[in-house]
Amino acid sequence: MLDAGICNYVAISYGHSGLWGGGMRQLLFNTRPSEACFGHFGAVGRYALAAQRGMHEFSSGPETWKHIAMGQRKWANLNPAAIMHAKPMSEADYHGAPLVVEPFRLFDSCQMNDGGRAIIVTSAERARDLKHRPVLIMGMGQHNPSNEIAQARYLAGPTGAHKAGRAAFAMAGIGLDDVDACQIYDCFTYTVEITMQEYGFFGRGEGENWFQGGTIEPGGTMPVNTSGGQLSEAYFMGLTPIAEAVMQLMGRCGPRQLGPETRTREPQVILCSDNGGALQSHSCLIFGRG
Amino acid sequence: MAKEKIVPAPDADSKPFWEACRDHKLKFQKCAACGEVRWPASILCPQCHCRDARWIEASGRGIIHTFVVYHQVFNPAFKDQIPYVVAVVELEEGPRLLTNIVDSPPESLSCDLPVEVVWDDISEEFSLPKFRPLPG
Ligand SMILES: [Zn+2]
Repeated sequence: MLDAGICNYVAISYGHSGLWGGGMRQLLFNTRPSEACFGHFGAVGRYALAAQRGMHEFSSGPETWKHIAMGQRKWANLNPAAIMHAKPMSEADYHGAPLVVEPFRLFDSCQMNDGGRAIIVTSAERARDLKHRPVLIMGMGQHNPSNEIAQARYLAGPTGAHKAGRAAFAMAGIGLDDVDACQIYDCFTYTVEITMQEYGFFGRGEGENWFQGGTIEPGGTMPVNTSGGQLSEAYFMGLTPIAEAVMQLMGRCGPRQLGPETRTREPQVILCSDNGGALQSHSCLIFGRG
Repeated sequence: MAKEKIVPAPDADSKPFWEACRDHKLKFQKCAACGEVRWPASILCPQCHCRDARWIEASGRGIIHTFVVYHQVFNPAFKDQIPYVVAVVELEEGPRLLTNIVDSPPESLSCDLPVEVVWDDISEEFSLPKFRPLPG
């Protein structure tokens, strides 16, 4: 539409009242009779089914997920807008949290919150005249293996992220080594692990090793979910990762800004993911500094 | 007082499945063209789109593909059952069924464990196929 001249600026917005409105509760407690009659409700249980299979096939599990939950919390501690800003998380906090749907404990799960996000898309040419440094869409890819969770053959990979990632990198004409940071859709900790594994950041089952030692934290070699993400900042569907990628590349992130302030690389390229269902659809976006 | 049980809501496609369950039989559609045994029930084969299928009776044996343990009450109807196990069981014939694993402590379960069907008569009209580990 932008290319065809039908419009000049497109606002993409998302907002919800997750704490009291119907939408998020629907996601969490929805009762399809064919599942509800067995006591199975909503997103936590579905992703937990996928995570358990991951534990079986490639030794995923809490020892990997704790690094994701705690690493993202450290970013949230630098972000005054994050719901968990004032709450550090220790390893004991992570392991001591109540089990929700095993293998997931409380801090494996994203948050329920009120709020919203919006981004403005325009042509690169127009963007150059605007107030902030522009951010370019370098590549995108989608792959939607679909299927009901019970029928899915890909809970432990290959998920949609595999093909979507390759398509996005091909379009951008870059490789994994060119990525400075990632904003990964993180409805659950396992989602971050399986997504980054499918993109190829580490081999199957090597996540525990890769995430340990602060890889994704402030000061780390591959910062992930630098606002705190959905686990520790706030949940706004795919707009939590995208808005953060854009803000980081514009240099508008204050104390959590990638670069010297956080002892990380100044970002030129940020990779984003989004997925739907329980790993049933996937989008990958690569953004570059304009 | 026990909360009212949640029962399945059969549609035109799944009605034969739930009727067979009432007789403690596990039945699925088998594609006349490619032989795929499918679930959920549907008017055409997800593999080859053939509309022709017949209902076959499954052995009731399979393996746990994956499972979870509910530790929180998502619905009051299950308040007294916490902790309970929800699983995806892969049947010998191929289809995967969302179900419960019963008669076994959750910590004794693992993926790929062999299981067999047991029936839970939850009302006059409905029996749910659940599974338990095969003895031995
Ligand atoms: Zn067929």
